[in-house]
Amino acid sequence: MRSCRDVARLLSESLDHTLPWHVRLGLRMHLAMCGICRVSRRQTLALRKAFRCYGREDDPGEDTSVELPPEARERIRQRVREAAQRDRSASR
Amino acid sequence: MDPERWVDDHGDMLYRYALSRVHDDAAAQDLVQETFLAALKGGQQFAGRSTERTWLTGILRHKLVDLVRKESRQQSVEDMEATLAVEDELFDTGGRWRSRPPEWETDPFEALKNKEFRAVLQHCVQALPDGGREAFVLRELEGFDTDFLCKELDVSATNLWVILHRARLMLRACLSANWFEQRKVSS
Repeated sequence: MRSCRDVARLLSESLDHTLPWHVRLGLRMHLAMCGICRVSRRQTLALRKAFRCYGREDDPGEDTSVELPPEARERIRQRVREAAQRDRSASR
Repeated sequence: MDPERWVDDHGDMLYRYALSRVHDDAAAQDLVQETFLAALKGGQQFAGRSTERTWLTGILRHKLVDLVRKESRQQSVEDMEATLAVEDELFDTGGRWRSRPPEWETDPFEALKNKEFRAVLQHCVQALPDGGREAFVLRELEGFDTDFLCKELDVSATNLWVILHRARLMLRACLSANWFEQRKVSS
């Protein structure tokens, strides 16, 4: 019988590749009997759903108050301007 | 194409994206700068601002992978042993849970709408150990698969899966302690 520690590791692994069928069966049996592993699995899957969207097109939120600090913005603007000018004079 | 507008039009958005993926503010600023410089070399024409935004985000993602490739090294035995602690904290010597994880009253996906949660999440990702953070970000946030990650991070699949497992446990513990457990509905 697998320990909860092993089950937790295998459940995480199942997110990254397909486990052999007999391992999946064993996990299902463990989950049927172990309420704590069920809670843990539920939370792991709920987090995965959030992580897949975080920062991307289907992110339900965004904190638009977070901005580039003014000195960083100016530094980057300057570098881009310099690089663009270099490109322009190189193509003449 | 007007590169000198890019920083004003897309700088903040790209910075927010970078902050959610890298270790700190300075690394995020560098990533944004690298993105714009790489975009200059691209020389594409775009009809609308949203496609420009999508294109620049795509470049940022590539620059992120480049950054990880440059900084990653083979996970040493010490690194693997250092992260063992998170499993030891959760499980006793018989492999049983030491305690039942508290139930969460809010859903993480819904919590993304909350600015404070986003700040906690960003902090928790940045707090992951080097190695674990890169693997977690590229796998869980960017969606790259095992084969790709084994190549970029120069680790075996078995080690990668353990690294990801422990990173997920650490992140969940951080989010639980700093957010979900503080949001009990008072009865």
